[in-house]
Amino acid sequence: MSGSQQATDTDRYAGRRVKRVEDARLLTGRGTFVDDVVRPGMLHVNFVRSPIARARITGIDISEALALDGVYAVLTAADINPYVHEQWFSLEGRHAPDTPRPPLAEGEVRHVGDPVAMIIAQDRYVAEDAAELVIVDYDPLPPVVDYATAFDSSELVHEAYPGNLVGQIGGRPMADLAPTFDNAPHVVSETYHQQAYCAMPMETRGIVTEWSPSDGTMTIWTATQSPHEVRGFCARLLAIPEHSVRVVMRDTGGGFGQKVLPLREDMCLMIAATKVPAPLKWIEDRQEHLLAAGQARHEHGEARMAFDDDGRILAATIDHVQDAGAYPSPNPVGSGIAVGLIFPGPYRIPEGTFNSRFAFSNTSGRVAYRGPWQFESVARECLLDVAARQIGIDPVELRRKNMLRRDELPTANCNGMPYSDITPLETFEQALEILDYDAFRREQEQARAAGRYIGVGTCTYVEPTAGASALYGTEGATIRVEPSGKVNVYVAGGSCGNSLETTVIQLTADALGVDIADVSSIQGDTAVTPFGGGTGGSRSGPMTAGAVNQTATELRGRILALAAHLLGGVPVDEVEFTRGVASVKGSPEKQVTLAEIADTAYFKSGSLPAELSVGLEVSGRFRAQHLMLWANATHVCTCEVDIVTGEVKLLRYIVSEDCGPMINPNVVEGQIFGGTVQGIGGALYEELAYDDAGNPVTTTFMDYLLPTAAEVPTIELGHVETPSIGPGGYKGVGEGGAIGAPPAVINAVADALAPFGVRISRLPLTPATIVNLLEEAAQRGAAGAAAAAGAARTAVAG
Amino acid sequence: MTDVDIQVRVNGIARRASVPPRLILADFLRVNCGLTGTHLGCEHGVCGACSVLLDGEAVRACLIFAVQADGAEITTVEGLAEPDGELSVVQAAFRDHHGLQCGFCTPGFVVSVTAFLEENPKPTDDEIRDALSGNLCRCTGYQGIINAVRAAAEALAESGGSASRDATAKETE
Amino acid sequence: MKPATFEYHAPTSAEEAVGLLADLDDAKALAGGQSLVPMLALRLAVFENLVDLRRVDELRGIETRDGSVWIGAGTTQATIGRSESIGLNVPLLARATPLIGHLQIRSRGTIGGSIAHADASAEYPAVALALDVELDALSPRGRRTIPAAEFFTGTWSTELEEDELLTGITFPVWQGRAGFAVEEFARRHGDFAMAGACVAVGVGADGRIDRCAISLFGLGPCARRATEVETELIGTSPADSDADEIGRTAMAGLDSVPTDLHGSASYRKRVGAAMVARAWRRALQEAVGD
Ligand SMILES: Cc1cc2nc3c(=O)[nH]c(=O)nc-3n(C[C@H](O)[C@H](O)[C@H](O)COP(=O)(O)OP(=O)(O)OC[C@H]3O[C@@H](n4cnc5c(N)ncnc54)[C@H](O)[C@@H]3O)c2cc1C
Ligand code: FES
Ligand code: FES
Repeated sequence: MSGSQQATDTDRYAGRRVKRVEDARLLTGRGTFVDDVVRPGMLHVNFVRSPIARARITGIDISEALALDGVYAVLTAADINPYVHEQWFSLEGRHAPDTPRPPLAEGEVRHVGDPVAMIIAQDRYVAEDAAELVIVDYDPLPPVVDYATAFDSSELVHEAYPGNLVGQIGGRPMADLAPTFDNAPHVVSETYHQQAYCAMPMETRGIVTEWSPSDGTMTIWTATQSPHEVRGFCARLLAIPEHSVRVVMRDTGGGFGQKVLPLREDMCLMIAATKVPAPLKWIEDRQEHLLAAGQARHEHGEARMAFDDDGRILAATIDHVQDAGAYPSPNPVGSGIAVGLIFPGPYRIPEGTFNSRFAFSNTSGRVAYRGPWQFESVARECLLDVAARQIGIDPVELRRKNMLRRDELPTANCNGMPYSDITPLETFEQALEILDYDAFRREQEQARAAGRYIGVGTCTYVEPTAGASALYGTEGATIRVEPSGKVNVYVAGGSCGNSLETTVIQLTADALGVDIADVSSIQGDTAVTPFGGGTGGSRSGPMTAGAVNQTATELRGRILALAAHLLGGVPVDEVEFTRGVASVKGSPEKQVTLAEIADTAYFKSGSLPAELSVGLEVSGRFRAQHLMLWANATHVCTCEVDIVTGEVKLLRYIVSEDCGPMINPNVVEGQIFGGTVQGIGGALYEELAYDDAGNPVTTTFMDYLLPTAAEVPTIELGHVETPSIGPGGYKGVGEGGAIGAPPAVINAVADALAPFGVRISRLPLTPATIVNLLEEAAQRGAAGAAAAAGAARTAVAG
Repeated sequence: MTDVDIQVRVNGIARRASVPPRLILADFLRVNCGLTGTHLGCEHGVCGACSVLLDGEAVRACLIFAVQADGAEITTVEGLAEPDGELSVVQAAFRDHHGLQCGFCTPGFVVSVTAFLEENPKPTDDEIRDALSGNLCRCTGYQGIINAVRAAAEALAESGGSASRDATAKETE
Repeated sequence: MKPATFEYHAPTSAEEAVGLLADLDDAKALAGGQSLVPMLALRLAVFENLVDLRRVDELRGIETRDGSVWIGAGTTQATIGRSESIGLNVPLLARATPLIGHLQIRSRGTIGGSIAHADASAEYPAVALALDVELDALSPRGRRTIPAAEFFTGTWSTELEEDELLTGITFPVWQGRAGFAVEEFARRHGDFAMAGACVAVGVGADGRIDRCAISLFGLGPCARRATEVETELIGTSPADSDADEIGRTAMAGLDSVPTDLHGSASYRKRVGAAMVARAWRRALQEAVGD
C-alpha cells in the first residue's frame, strides 16, 4: 500500500521497531507510579463505603473512629460536598448535559461501594481500622439492580430522572423501515445481552493532593490519562486559577479509558486537601476498584437485518439500551450514540436506523472503556453469522457480498457516518488467507465426524479514531534544542503504557533530522508541558504526530537558517541537515553540528544578523483538519469447545488491521495484542456481576477473572497500510483490539456448536453458560423431534 | 500490637527494622526500604505484581508479613540488574521483545521469570505459559512476554549464565 | 486492603506452638499464609494472635519409611513438587501439586496448611483422602493419628481441635500394578477447581481390580470419596469398566454440591462426572499398561 514506502524508509525512525525509552526505568523498578510518590508529612485516605445497594443514610457516628490513635479526621458529605464550585469535564464542556456526581454520598447511597465517609490517618492500615469504627445507619430502600427493567421500575435511582432514564437518542423512526422489513425475503433478528465488565488496569486508581495554603496552589500526582483534564477539573472544582494547580503523572499503570476522567474520590481528595494541613494520598485497593471504579459494556440490544434473496443486506436497525449505573462519568449519552451510528459497520447497507436509551441503576457507574461503542460490533457481527446460518450461506460469503469495496469509498453509512481511507475487505481477505479458511472448513468437517467441535468466527469493523472533539481537536508540542545541541520535546502526555515517549522521540528525530539518541521527551506535568487532551479516543499517535511535525518543521527552519549563516552564508535551500549535522549540498566536507548551531543560537547572539532568531525553542499547536480518522480491522478466531465441560479453547487468533503507516510496529502490535486479550476476557471470562439485591459478587481477582498467559493463544498479525487524511497518514490503534475480539470469539463458539442448533444471546460465554445452551438446544431439539413425531403420528392416524 | 525486630538482606544490603506484625512484606519493601519497584496490584495473592525472590524463590510479597521474612535474603526487581545498570538477561529480553507497556506488572513478571528459568532453564512453550499464569498483565496480551521468556532462556543457554546474579557474587561486592 | 492488628509469635517447637495456641486468646496457626493472609487482608478473618510455624523445623521434611512416605506438615508444595522420592512413591501427590495455584503460591504454601484449611476445591485434601493417609496431630493433650477418612468434617472444618497442630502426613506407598490420576476443571489455569477427581487403582495378579479409590473435590463442602462406586469396581476386570458410567455413578446422590457465579450444582456434577471418567481412564491405563 502507498503508506509503506514511507514507513520502511531506512533513514527514518518512524516505521522502525525502535526500542522503548520507557523500558529501562520500568524494568528496573525505577518508574514513578502514583503510589511511589511520598510527600513530607503525607496522610493516608480510606473511604467508608456503602454495603447496601440503596438506602437512606439516617445517621453517621464518627466518634469512635476519630478517637482511634493515628486518625486525623473523618469527613462526611457535609464536610466536602458544599465546597464543590463547578464540576464538569473539559472532555464534555461546560454546557453539556451532565448527570449527578456528588463527591460523597449525601442522604442516600446508590450502590454498594458508594463512598460515605473519608478517613484521614497516619497510614492506610490505621485508616482501614478506623473505617470499621464508623457507624452508619442505613434505612434500606428497594434497589434498581437490573437496568433492563429500570424504565418500568417505580423506584428511582435519582429523583430528578423519571423512569430512571438518563437520556435517549436515535435516528429516523424505526417505523420508517417497516416496509423494507415486511417485504424482505429474509429478516434476521436477535437480542444480545452483554455483561458488565471493565478496563481493570493493573494499577488501581490513586491520587496525592498537596495544598499550599500560603500561596493557594495545589499540586496533584495521580494515575491519569489526561493530566490537563485533572488540572482544569480541580481548578473549577475549587474555584482557583488554573495555573495554581499543577498535575504530575510520570508512569501510569494502564488506563484503557478508566483513567480519562477524575472521579468522585478524586474530588474528595482535592477538596479535603484544602481542609487539612498535610498532603493526602489515596491508593485505591483492588476491592474498591471492583466496587467503585466503574463498569462498562453493560448493555443489550435488538439487532435486525433484512436481506434480499441473494443475501444482500437491505436494512439494519438496532434498538439499544445501556446501563449507566448510579453515577456515570461522563454522561453516557454522548458516547453511547456511537453504538447506533457505527452499527452498519463496514457493510453496504442502504437503509437503517437506531435507538439508544440509557438507564440508571443502583450499581457502579459507567465509565469509558476502550472502544466504548464496541457493542455495535457484537450485535452486528454476531447477527451476520446468525443470518448466514438462517439463509443457508457461508458467513464469509455473506460478508464478501456485503462488505464495502475500496472503489465505493469515500461513502457515508446509512446513519450518516462518513467513511474514508478504510480497507475492510482487504483486511478480511488477508486474515482469512492467514488462516486458510477453506482448509479450516475441511478440518472442521473431519473433526465433527470424530466428535470434536471446532469453529471459526470473524469480526470486521470500522473504527473512528482521533475524533476532533472540542478537547481533542488540537494538540501542542514544544521542542527545545538545548545549548548543547540535545533536544527536549514537551507534550502533554498521559501515557499509560502506550509508549508515547518513544513515539514522540521517533517523530521528533525524524522531523528535525537529528539522532534519536539526542532526543528526550518530557510529558505528564502540566507545569511544563503544552496543554493537551491526554490519551483517549485512540488519538495520541495521529494528534501527537501532528503537533510534533508542525512544531519541528518550524524549528528545523530556524536550524537551517542558522546553519546557512554558519556555513558561510550559503542560501538556506542549499543546506542539508541530517542526524544533527548540517552541510552544504555537494560539499559534504564543510559541516556544522547541531551543538555548534545551538551554541551560536544561545551564546553568540551578538554575532548573528538581526533577521535570525536567537535560541532554538518553538511551540506549536496542531489543529485537526479531520472530524475523525477511520481505522479498520478483521479478527478471525478458531476454537474448540468441549461439549461436556463447556470449556472453550482458542486455537488460532488472527488480526489484520489497517491503522495507516505504523510509527513503531512494536507499539502498534502491542496495542492490538493487549486490546484483543481484553476482548477475549470479555467474551469468555470477565464479569462484574451483582446478585438480585445489588450486591457485587465479583469483588476479588479470584472471581473477576482476567485471562492469563495460559488462556491466550498466539496472536498472528497482518497489516494493511492505507494512509489517513491525518498527519503522517497515521490512524489511531489503541482501542480496536478490544472491539474486534468479542464478536470473533462468540462467532467461533457459535460456529463450533452449530450442529447442535445453539443460539447465543447472553454473554459472557462461561463454560456453564455453554453447557446450558447445549442443554436448551437439546431440549428444543427433543421437543422439536417430539412435535415432529407427534405430527407424523397424527398424519398417519389421519 | 508489639513491634518485632527483624533483620533481612534486601538486594544484598542488610536492613534492621522494628515492624508491626501486620506489616505486609511488600509495604516493608516499598515504604520502609523505599524500594517502590515491587508493586501492589491486588493485595490478595492473585495478580503477581508484588513478586519478589525470598531466599531465591519467587513469592507473593503481599501474602507474607515482614516479620516472617526475618533472616531472609530478599531480591526485588531493583536488585536484578548489574550495579552498573546493565539489564539482566531477563530484563533485556523483556525490552527487546516488547514484553512491557505500562510497566506496572513488569517487576512481578521479571522476578518470577528469573526464578522460573533458574529452576527450568529449557522450558517448553506450555511450561512458559504455565509459569506465567500467576502474573496478570492487562496491557500486552502476554505475546511479548512469552517471546521474551523464550528468548531469555535461549540467551541463558547460549551464555551458560544464570537468570539471577548469584548470591555469592553479591556478598563480595 | 490491609490486615487488622495481631500479636505475632514464632515458637521453635511444635510443643511450644500448641502451648501458645492453647494459652492465647483467639490464636491461629500461620503456615505458608497463602490462604490465611488473603483472608486477613480482606478482613474476612481477624485473630488476636498468630502463631507462625516457620521456626518449627520438626514440621518440615520428606522421609521415606517402610512402605510409606512421611511428609512434615510445614513442607512447601514447591518442595513436594521437586521431590524425586514423592514422584516415585506417591505419584498422585506429585501429579496434583502443579495444579495448585501458581509457582509463587507453591513456594510458600504448605501441605499441612492445605490439608488443615480443607478448602472444598483444594487438591491435597482429595489426594489425602484417596490415599487413606494418616494425619499426625499434636495438642497439649498429646499426639494422635487421625485417619484421612475421619479428618474432613465439613466446609473448612476438620477433626483438628483449635489448639491442635497437624505435624505430619504419612502416605502409604502403593505396591504392585497401580495407576494414579488427577483431573480437574478450573475456569482458568491455576484457579481453584470447580470440580475434580483423584483416582488410584490397583490391579491384582489375576488382572482384576483389587484396590480402588476415587475422591472428589469441588463437589461438596469438603473432599469426599465415591465409596459406592469403588466397592462396585473391586474384583471387576479393567476391560469391563465403563469410565463414563463410573463418572455418572460417582455423582449420583451427591448432596450439598456448591452453586455460585461460575456454575450451578448440576453443572458441577456434569463436569465432576467427566473428571472422574477422565481420571479413571488415565489411571487404569497406567495400571494395566507396562
Ligand atoms: C491465588 C491463589 C491460588 C490458589 N490456588 C489454589 C489451588 O488451586 N488449589 C489449592 O489447593 N490451593 C490453592 N491456593 C491456596 C494454597 O494452596 C494455600 O497455600 C493452602 O491452601 C494453605 O497452605 P498454607 O501453608 O499457605 O496455610 P496458611 O494459609 O498459613 O493456613 C491456612 C489454614 O491452615 C491452618 N494451618 C496451617 N498449617 C497448619 C498446621 N500445621 N496445623 C494446623 N493448622 C494449620 C491455619 O491456621 C489456617 O487456618 C491458592 C492460593 C492463592 C493465593
Ligand atoms: S499484589 Fe500480591 S499478588 Fe497481587
Ligand atoms: S504492562 Fe501494563 S499491566 Fe503489564
